[in-house]
Amino acid sequence: MNHSEHLKAQLFRRIYVALIFVASISSLAWFGAREIVGLNYAISGIITGATVLSTCLFFGGLLTKIVSTPLDALTQAILHVSPGYEENNSLAPNLEKVRLGRELVTSLSLQVYQLASTESAQAVDVTSHRKEVIQAINVINHLPLPLFVFNGQLIVTNASEAGIEYCGTTSAEIFGKPLEESLRLEFPSESTLDNWITECQKNKVTNTIFWERVHVSLPDGTTKQCDVSAHYNRDNPSGADFIVTLFDRTESYNEDDESMGFVALAVHELRTPVTMLRGYIEVFEEELGDQLNDELKDFMHKMGVAASQLTIFVNNILNVARIEQNQLMMQLQEADWPKTLNKALDDMEIRASIKGMTIERNIATDIPTVGIDKVSMYEVIANLIDNAIKYSPNKSKIIVSAAVGKNGTAETTIQDFGTGMPASVTANLFEKFYRNHRTRGKVGGTGLGLYLTKAIVSAHGGQVWVRSKENEGSTFGFSVSQYAQLADELKNSNNKDIIRQSHGWVKNHSMYRR
Amino acid sequence: MQDDTAQQPTNPAPTKGNILIIEDEYFISELYVRALKRAGYAVELAVDGADGLAKAETDTYDLILLDIMVPTITGTEILKKLRNPSNAKQIRAKIIVTTNLEQSEENKAAIEAQADAYIIKAEITPKQLVEFLAEIG
Repeated sequence: MNHSEHLKAQLFRRIYVALIFVASISSLAWFGAREIVGLNYAISGIITGATVLSTCLFFGGLLTKIVSTPLDALTQAILHVSPGYEENNSLAPNLEKVRLGRELVTSLSLQVYQLASTESAQAVDVTSHRKEVIQAINVINHLPLPLFVFNGQLIVTNASEAGIEYCGTTSAEIFGKPLEESLRLEFPSESTLDNWITECQKNKVTNTIFWERVHVSLPDGTTKQCDVSAHYNRDNPSGADFIVTLFDRTESYNEDDESMGFVALAVHELRTPVTMLRGYIEVFEEELGDQLNDELKDFMHKMGVAASQLTIFVNNILNVARIEQNQLMMQLQEADWPKTLNKALDDMEIRASIKGMTIERNIATDIPTVGIDKVSMYEVIANLIDNAIKYSPNKSKIIVSAAVGKNGTAETTIQDFGTGMPASVTANLFEKFYRNHRTRGKVGGTGLGLYLTKAIVSAHGGQVWVRSKENEGSTFGFSVSQYAQLADELKNSNNKDIIRQSHGWVKNHSMYRR
Repeated sequence: MQDDTAQQPTNPAPTKGNILIIEDEYFISELYVRALKRAGYAVELAVDGADGLAKAETDTYDLILLDIMVPTITGTEILKKLRNPSNAKQIRAKIIVTTNLEQSEENKAAIEAQADAYIIKAEITPKQLVEFLAEIG
């Protein structure tokens, strides 16, 4: 060790010098007393002895101090970190004072501190553990959020003061009882706290989950709307297997519901005349078809198309409102994709025919069943075909192709031979209210269709894309997942006997089986 | 609005079943009554909730088309009353909710539990309604 060799050399030099000094001064004393002053042997001996004694005393003290200072500093460092010595107010060593061997003492002291800190981190110090527990209880109690802790038997073992206050009750009413006696939670979907608990206890060691828009019924009969988070830790020794926290969002969710209520009412008022228009137009077309000349028949046909266009527009408004309120919910069910696509295209063909356009179908028959929300997916197809019609010249064609794509998804493309657009336009195409400035003046639209298309397809777990060249046309594509590949939680397990269609639903048991 | 005698001389004899329409929009009910009669159903109309509920409870219908936004008693209430499991007598009719009103999540769940089918009126024409009913018992 370099530092200690250095110290040894320094000490040796000092002792060596001191011994030579003592020897020289005693020789000088003898010589001075005997030869210069001319004192006799006895007195000269006494003077020399006194000189030797006093210099030895001086150097002895000096050397002791030099040797003991580093040791003292080291001792102080050890005492400073030793448990139980706190009461002595022992201070950290002042290394400035150590002149000899400071390097050695500094490095040794550092090692002492290092050892002491690892030691205290490893050992469970009862005092500080107690502090941590008290701190944790304090945090829970003063957390400004309703928080409930319950054990593996689902009995409440702890709750924050905010939680007890939220329930409008006392701790005695909550602790030691099942949570549902104090709080009733209603979840918007099949993913509920009960189901999550069952899943956790069966398959998980730790797990965390978050729900939005949970209805919470309190003991006093009021209902709140909350976001809820829950954490699971299997067999937690302190009985905190489950920790549930409520985030009260009643005010903002109620506001959302009210504005949604307004949109729903407006949509109702728009749909009612559309229903009548479509009904009366159909009567004319069905029953007066033979009596009308071709021009009148064509007009009637166009009225029908206009009315159905209005239906799609109304549904778009409704869906945009849903997206903004975060309420666009998909009811994914197993569906035959070629059949679904063909059915929607049959409706769109009437619309295309107004401009003398044709829809060429290139739909593979080997596509496995897909998981879709039929109402929303109909809107995706309608919006994409509607765009293709709007941005194409009269009498041109639209090619709709569908096949099994990457990862087994059903990929559908809609190709038109219309105006097309440059890359600068396609980049923003799926944004809300975005419209191509070059065609904005010529072609009507709200800039909502593609925004919705993307939102709906994304909510299905699929993707939308576009390829386009100016003056040559555009191809829009989208993918939807195979039903077999859908994650279980996306499947509409809620009401298995409900068969959803583009205009509503019917219960399975209500259908005649053939 | 009861008019069981055929309005149209072309109407076939009503053999397909009895339908009660609870609907307050005059134009819509006119279209539905006409299309269903022509398709061979015996049709009766109620223009408000209370009348509709009273008629439905006579249990003389095979199908009930129920609008949600009707005066006096709402369609949701009627559905709840007709499908109340503690009712001694359950009516045999299948109930098809016909509405243009978007339902809250709560209502949606209730309707899905109690009704046999659900139709957004603006999405289908009277002819499509007839086709839809033909598939249902």
